[in-house]
Amino acid sequence: MEELIAKLKNEIIAQLNLEDKTPGDIQTDAPLFGDGLGLDSIDALELIVLLEKNYGLKLDKPEDGKTVFHSVRSMAEFIQSRKK
Amino acid sequence: MPNKIYITGLGIISAIGGNVEESLHALLESRTGVGKISILKTALSETHPAAEVKKTNKELVSLTNLPENKFYSRTMLLGLIAARQALTAARIEKLNEARTGFISATSVGGMDRTEVFYESFSKDNSRGHLHDIITHDCGESTEAIAAQLGINDFVDTISTACSSSANAIMLGAKMIKHGLLDRVIAGGTDALSKFTLNGFNSLMILDRQPCQPFDDKRRGLNMGEGAGYIVLESDKNPGFDQKEIFGELSGYANTNDAYHQTASSPDARGAIMAMTQAMEMAKLSPSQIDYINAHGTGTPNNDLTEETAINNIFGERIPPFSSTKAFTGHTLAAAGGIEAVISLLAMKHGFIFPNLRYETKMKEFEFSPVTELRKQMKLSHVLSNSFGFGGNNSSLLFSKA
Repeated sequence: MEELIAKLKNEIIAQLNLEDKTPGDIQTDAPLFGDGLGLDSIDALELIVLLEKNYGLKLDKPEDGKTVFHSVRSMAEFIQSRKK
Repeated sequence: MPNKIYITGLGIISAIGGNVEESLHALLESRTGVGKISILKTALSETHPAAEVKKTNKELVSLTNLPENKFYSRTMLLGLIAARQALTAARIEKLNEARTGFISATSVGGMDRTEVFYESFSKDNSRGHLHDIITHDCGESTEAIAAQLGINDFVDTISTACSSSANAIMLGAKMIKHGLLDRVIAGGTDALSKFTLNGFNSLMILDRQPCQPFDDKRRGLNMGEGAGYIVLESDKNPGFDQKEIFGELSGYANTNDAYHQTASSPDARGAIMAMTQAMEMAKLSPSQIDYINAHGTGTPNNDLTEETAINNIFGERIPPFSSTKAFTGHTLAAAGGIEAVISLLAMKHGFIFPNLRYETKMKEFEFSPVTELRKQMKLSHVLSNSFGFGGNNSSLLFSKA
């Protein structure tokens, strides 16, 4: 799990072009949107692309997005749950 | 309802300067902004000079105090810088004390970001950042600037090629006159892009040397980039008495040649109608025009048509005229805004700025543009022309308030 979280942080930085951020700047449990990393709705689309491209995963229900993309941890949990 | 429209603020950024003061200095010192392209990565940089704002997007972001890690189009950044200057000059601090509109012209919008997106996307269609592509629509730059300024009473984008800014200013004036808004920040912004450079190159109207508007040997235009906005207000607005008045927008007109997609009509019908109707609105006769800031792109077609129009209207009494595009390049949709600012500066300070690099009189006519800086002129009425593709012709008439 920790390995996946570290990998995800690097992938998010690359996908969202967060040039001035390092994996250390992204807190695993902090909200990605709003207060935390301050991402917006276009970033949400980028994260959907990331899941598809890097993990071959699709969100079945769009309304799940809010839970899945809450934090890096929730994204990692989603990926793990789909792997089983 | 108000019937007089005053200009209370100016904002400008182009290759000759990042604000009104710098631009005025360059105009007084005959310092051109046309040179080698160094910021935009293009195959034409060695062969085609342009008037580029010598600041990277990162440097422009730092001038705006925007958060750094976001995506902004260059068009938006240039526009925000100039529009903010105009608001500050007009001493507008509280936006909610009057209905305020933002009408911005652009021809390429975020094309510069689209080109970044396309480079990755064309190799692999899962690549490219979506933030880059959403700036593609022209309206995005306007909305992003309006959001930063905090304007939401009325926000609109005008895209009618090279007459866009003049038409934005015209729409702003009409809305104030009809009682729909109290004040409007109007003008335009356009960044250099490969799209426009290559497009104009394909049309074979780019000059490979610094351009020579109205010269018999003129070869074409130099592209430019920048933004120019003016603040239009009625005198009923709060705090109007304390404001500096740069002039009155006494007349304007937009007409169409209905002749050709890109070329202007040889009989200059649209251009003649635009200037004539602007003067009619202001109830002025041609003999009262003290200076024309011409469209004067440097293309064989435009300059011949424009001189034909000037000759037709003014005949024996040709007023002093010059094109300032040899300074700023042709900034497309921003040109009308930038040249409105330049025209208002000319009127306010009594200057006529020279038509740089003019050498040889056009063989078709017996008159020439102003080639040396003229000072201490009494300019009461100044015409500013913006003629665009599609035969879309606009003239603005500014008068001393």
